[in-house]
Amino acid sequence: MEIDLGQDAAREARAMSWLDDQERRRWRRFLPGGPRRRFALSRAALRAILCERLGCDNERLAFGAAEHGKPFALVDGEPVPVSFNVSHSGAHGLIAYAPAGRLGVDVEERVARSDIDLLSEAVFGPAERAELALTSGYARSHLFFRLWTIKEALMKAHGAGFRLDPSSFETPPAMLRGMNEAIFRLPRLPEVSWRLQDLGNERFAAAIAHEVDGA
Amino acid sequence: MASTADRIRKLVADNLEVDGKPLPEPLDFGTGLTELGVSSMDVVAFAKVVAEDFGVTFTPEACATIKTLDELVTCLDSQMG
Repeated sequence: MEIDLGQDAAREARAMSWLDDQERRRWRRFLPGGPRRRFALSRAALRAILCERLGCDNERLAFGAAEHGKPFALVDGEPVPVSFNVSHSGAHGLIAYAPAGRLGVDVEERVARSDIDLLSEAVFGPAERAELALTSGYARSHLFFRLWTIKEALMKAHGAGFRLDPSSFETPPAMLRGMNEAIFRLPRLPEVSWRLQDLGNERFAAAIAHEVDGA
Repeated sequence: MASTADRIRKLVADNLEVDGKPLPEPLDFGTGLTELGVSSMDVVAFAKVVAEDFGVTFTPEACATIKTLDELVTCLDSQMG
């Protein structure tokens, strides 16, 4: 689900009314303006979605954090075994929800960056860097953001985030060649399959990774 | 010679921004960059810049483990002896 995180004071005030005390404390740690707005709007939207899917009132819903900080839902203080993930960038927010299977989502606003080489060296493997080297200008930036979101979505779904060395695995060849989705297994975790899907468009790059059974 | 914290403060000022604006001074070394609103992409790029400036290497695990600028200063000081 896509969320509009553009400026709207009334919507932001309504969103704040959905947050609990812990979330309001976290909100205060963000910088005023965009960071606070993105957190409030995306967290309130997540609460609305989870309340609807789980059939509970907002007051009964809270969040805990797993080992590396990935949040999970609590209803009446008890963990609920559903999956969700949130990402936001600029005015774009994405929320993914599934009744089962680990989920990760990433969205990145397509903005001009002068450090694509630096970042590529840090997170991409040889095949990804070779594919990038075949492009230039807008196409290069487009591909960079596409590959980044695919990898970050997978790292978020896994739960380890950047502890999972992003240069230790590469985007599936089919997706490198332009396919929108693929089934993937991490070299260090071959028993688990992930469905990767590119959700991007001209305004933003986005991807989702979902753990699947028996693929 | 500038302290590690002073060098980090300058690297932040020169390299990091949120929504096109510099991070506010005084910089809070106890709060995580992502908690301030810095994107994961900018955090990775910043780690590369810091590693180059200090002549050290960060493993991805170390990058993910260091949450605050205070922890970054401690990590750098320990690597540089």
